[in-house]
Amino acid sequence: MNTTTAITTINSWQRVSPIALLYFLVKFIKGLVSNFVYLLPALYVSYNHIVKNPTLWLPIVLAVLCLIFILVFLKYYFFKFRIYNNNLEIRSGVFAKKHINLPFERIQNIKLEQPIFYRPFNVVCLLLDTAGSHKQEANIVALNLHDAEQLKKVILTNHQKSTLNNATKNSTTPCNKPELAQERILNTRALFDLILHGLSNNRVWIFLGGLAPFFDEIAEYVTQWLLSLGINIEQILMFNDKPWWQIGFYAFTLTLIILVPISLLSILGAVLSFYNFTLSKIGDRYIRRSGLLTKQEVTMKLSRLQMVIRQQDWLDRLFKRMNVRFEQNQSLENKLNTSAYANKIIVPSVTEKQCQALIDDAYPDNQLQQITFKAISKRYLLRNIGYILLPLYLLLAGFLYINDKTLLLALISPLFAFFTLVIYLRWRRWGYAYDNNYFYLRSGAIGIAIKIFPLYKVQQSQYKQSIFLRKHQLCHVRLVLASGSVVIPYIMQQDGYCLIDNILYIVEETPRSWM
Amino acid sequence: MIDQHNLKTPCNTMPTLVDTPFSNNKINTDNLPSIQALPFEQLASRYRLIRCWLHFSITFFILVIGLIIYYQLFFILSQHSADIILLTTLILFSLSFMISIYYLLADKQKSFSLREQDISYASGLIFKSVVTQPMLRIQHVELKQGPIERKAKLARLQVFSAGGALHTFEIPGLTLEKAQSIRQFILEHKTLSVQQ
Repeated sequence: MNTTTAITTINSWQRVSPIALLYFLVKFIKGLVSNFVYLLPALYVSYNHIVKNPTLWLPIVLAVLCLIFILVFLKYYFFKFRIYNNNLEIRSGVFAKKHINLPFERIQNIKLEQPIFYRPFNVVCLLLDTAGSHKQEANIVALNLHDAEQLKKVILTNHQKSTLNNATKNSTTPCNKPELAQERILNTRALFDLILHGLSNNRVWIFLGGLAPFFDEIAEYVTQWLLSLGINIEQILMFNDKPWWQIGFYAFTLTLIILVPISLLSILGAVLSFYNFTLSKIGDRYIRRSGLLTKQEVTMKLSRLQMVIRQQDWLDRLFKRMNVRFEQNQSLENKLNTSAYANKIIVPSVTEKQCQALIDDAYPDNQLQQITFKAISKRYLLRNIGYILLPLYLLLAGFLYINDKTLLLALISPLFAFFTLVIYLRWRRWGYAYDNNYFYLRSGAIGIAIKIFPLYKVQQSQYKQSIFLRKHQLCHVRLVLASGSVVIPYIMQQDGYCLIDNILYIVEETPRSWM
Repeated sequence: MIDQHNLKTPCNTMPTLVDTPFSNNKINTDNLPSIQALPFEQLASRYRLIRCWLHFSITFFILVIGLIIYYQLFFILSQHSADIILLTTLILFSLSFMISIYYLLADKQKSFSLREQDISYASGLIFKSVVTQPMLRIQHVELKQGPIERKAKLARLQVFSAGGALHTFEIPGLTLEKAQSIRQFILEHKTLSVQQ
């Protein structure tokens, strides 16, 4: 294209690529479906009526379709953007007009997204958002890939310029101009890794979100299918007259029947969202690219990184894999928003070595390998088992014993043992440590999660102590970060005070930007 | 210290070599100012007084309403429903009374402490908590006043950080002048303007 060289220098308003029509159409239909899902049964019922009276309904249906197309076209027609004076301006809206003005230096995240229907045309969506706590996101709906890359580059160099200017103003550090061109690949994930990830981490919800409107139909369809295989659920569920082994067998097959598709779906979900995963780094930016149908490219500044989480679920432990999560600032509104998920960077199912390499890259002077975690007080066990679980169990057991329900008692006892074990494991896992720069927190029950964050990123500290804890000189400490908060429970009072004092000292000693 | 800061922020690209010439000296924790020995300042005494008044008047209002319904002569209640009304009134009354007593005691625990670099708020009768908000992480400050607070010239100071809405730092029951001067102090804290 000839315009490609000019994209960033054109100062006049321009429209996006006409393929955006498709984007608007899909978005419109999605909105329609999700808003009027409850009308679908009514439509289904009246379907016969519609078919019977084509003379009445055909024009209406056609008119509605026409209206949709006109609306979509108008949306496209009114969507204009321009790059002016290091500002990005977007005008959109058919009835409600919207005008967004984003100065380049305020843009925090740059995200490229490519829905599957954009792929043949080599077109992407460019999503930009600012650090503002209220969600302000700009979306250039369809841009030629080349243009998008160029625009991204311009925005990024603009950042670099401003930070470099600051640097030269403040001091003459040997800050060799960070090169944009040098992209370093930190990690890639193969299909096998994704399959492991799908197995060990439930990614079914990726589907569940989309399928929610169709649950009833699916349930009906599945029952039909099972019936055709000669399995009658209702018959199975009435197991009064069957020997126990048969019930056991049924239960086993039923769990298999449920589990197998779920894990298959989960694998599919993992592949869908993480296909062709690469994590790379340019200068001080992380870039994540992934996706099978919708390709995504998320850029995140290293300074925005608040916390690194190394997470290992119980199946991950079996596979000797772990997930690394890079957490960045999140306001509450963003947390509730599902698209916030896309702003996080998750590196799925890496080996321990790769995991450590990633953490070392983000936090070069971390001491995760050398550090010894300090355990929390045994009172955690006493409180959870001794004061809550055991009395509850004894009460129930006594009640059941008196009423001669020994079968139930036999059922409850293993449950009690299980919970006790989980609480014990949780106690074992809890551990914390900190050096001069980082805080390390380990938690989990069967799986293990380790959170690492630089001490100066702490936003607020909370010291908590009930009168019962006070008696034993214990306390809880909560540290609030921009990405969420962490709690360190049942630690010695003196340690708690010491921890908070240290953190406050580090936060307050030098004004370092946490963003 | 300031030099080091200037080295740090602008070039994030070369973290290890430039910024931390690897120092790992133990911070001497004994000399740090501790939050354990914060000199806490009480809230305005009329805050406690007003809350006390408010809670006890609600308590007695419940009692009076219940008794009026019980003893009124406009319509006749069956013995059964009259008993229920009396019982619920008594239960609600005693509950509300206990809650009032609790608040009376708990309000005494509320106090705050302003230091050069941070502000702390202590509260809780059974579950004590001390929340500390460093000035450097404050994004903005708000003064809030409800109708009663406005009458009493009291104000709530709300401090927002990036920790999110769940972790908004709030000190209630400050006199308006004090709240304003604390806000001024926070706003004048030099580093708040540096961040902008």
